[in-house]
Amino acid sequence: MRDARDVLIRPVISEKSVGMVEEAKYTFWVNTAANKIEIKSAVEKMFKVQVDEVRTLKVKGKEKRMGRYVGKTSDKKKAIVTLKPGNKIEGFAGL
Amino acid sequence: MVVKVDKIEKNKVSLEIVVGADEFSSAINRTAKKVAGEINVPGFRKGKAPRHIIERYVGKDYLEKEAMEPLIGPAYVKAVEESAIWPVSRPEVEVIQAEDGKDLIFKALVEVKPEVELGQYTGLEIPKATVEVTEEQIEEELKRRQEMHAKLIPVDDGEVLDKDIVTIDFEGFIDGVAFEGGKGEDHDLAIGSGTFIPGFEEQLIGARKDQELDVNVPFPDEYHSKELAGKDALFKVKVKAIKRKELVPLDDEFAKDVSEFDTLNELREDIKEKMITSTEMKISNEHRAEIVKKVVDNASVELPEGMIQNRIEALIQDLGTNLSYQGVTIEQYYSYINSNKEEVYENYRVQAVESIKTELVLEAIANKEGITVSDEDVEKEMEKLAENHGRKIEELKEALTARGELDWFKIGIVSDRTIDLLVEKNSSNKKDTGEQLENNDIEKKE
Repeated sequence: MRDARDVLIRPVISEKSVGMVEEAKYTFWVNTAANKIEIKSAVEKMFKVQVDEVRTLKVKGKEKRMGRYVGKTSDKKKAIVTLKPGNKIEGFAGL
Repeated sequence: MVVKVDKIEKNKVSLEIVVGADEFSSAINRTAKKVAGEINVPGFRKGKAPRHIIERYVGKDYLEKEAMEPLIGPAYVKAVEESAIWPVSRPEVEVIQAEDGKDLIFKALVEVKPEVELGQYTGLEIPKATVEVTEEQIEEELKRRQEMHAKLIPVDDGEVLDKDIVTIDFEGFIDGVAFEGGKGEDHDLAIGSGTFIPGFEEQLIGARKDQELDVNVPFPDEYHSKELAGKDALFKVKVKAIKRKELVPLDDEFAKDVSEFDTLNELREDIKEKMITSTEMKISNEHRAEIVKKVVDNASVELPEGMIQNRIEALIQDLGTNLSYQGVTIEQYYSYINSNKEEVYENYRVQAVESIKTELVLEAIANKEGITVSDEDVEKEMEKLAENHGRKIEELKEALTARGELDWFKIGIVSDRTIDLLVEKNSSNKKDTGEQLENNDIEKKE
């Protein structure tokens, strides 16, 4: 199994993600190859919390052009982790 | 808010001002909101980023500093009010503690209005010169008027005498060459007036009308034109007319001609009266000035440097304004008097020190003696001033208020009254000296 630090890349810091902290939902950018089970254990291990649920979504990379050359930014995967009641991650935005 | 006043030097005070932690942190919150509206944090719309994100983005120090600045000004003003000091310079602010969650502490170092140690200011027994108008002075004045109204009688047949007025054409040569500025036509010259170079006028004595003569005179060594100074010059002069002053006899007729009086005695009386009033005014002004100077000299004040500098600047600015009316810039003035800014500053320093000290001493005495001015008094003085200037009182008041000089006007009245009091208590030709002695005793006991 992948190490926790290979699964979780960094927190998603945005208005929406910061807002969801109140509902005990923490959003991370994760390794595109990681699955929900891996993410769950990674978060539990890293933050010493109990995870209730993990939802994931893939973010397709954008098509970028440099003149006539078409490029693509890499795909990413976001995971929204809901913690079990009573758990929280301190300093989420400060990771 | 807590203020701790510390007197460091004689006229320097350090205020330690503490602003409460709550106030400070709410100021930081406000600042964070303000900053959030100004910067773009990726992931957030403008103004939507929460405080901790902003803090990470711009740094906590920055927020604290930004929050502190608008607090310091009002806190300082309030502290000054509370501690009843009178600052005369801009404060030097030093921040001691500025951390979120803790009190904001800063120190303001400021020069304050110095305390005046009054010396003896009563019973100085300064004599006032007595007003004396002698017969001679009156005669002199009469003679001056006689001279002024003298008739000029043309002398066609006769020699030039001292005090005559001659009309001449002249041309000057040095080594046979005419020089610039040495030529004149129909020039009226009063013999003995010393308007021409020494020796010139004297040599005309004895000349007759229409006579042409050569005048040989050396230019004086210190003559203002360097090319001419010390050189021997030859002037070809033609006397075109001779006029002699004829004095009218001093009699009633003269009085009628030159004044509204009918007899010479009346005129004489009038002259005497006017002379007495003017000398009296002069003497009492001098007396006042002398008393004030003495009292000021007796007092000791240590003036803060900032105060002196401010005053010098004000004086120079006044000077600049006056000069600008004449179309001269201050820089031109400096070069004209062969000086520079620093020297002029130094020169004005004495004056500045003197005037500040006088003001402070007078103020201290006014405070001690309880001299105040009521609004009615101000009104009265204004009326007087308005009358003197031939303006309406409303107009004057408006002008004073608009320029914010109403306070100065008031201070002026107070200091006038203070001087009045000083004059009263320090004149030596006052009879009831008992009261003054008493005052002195009290002074010593203190």
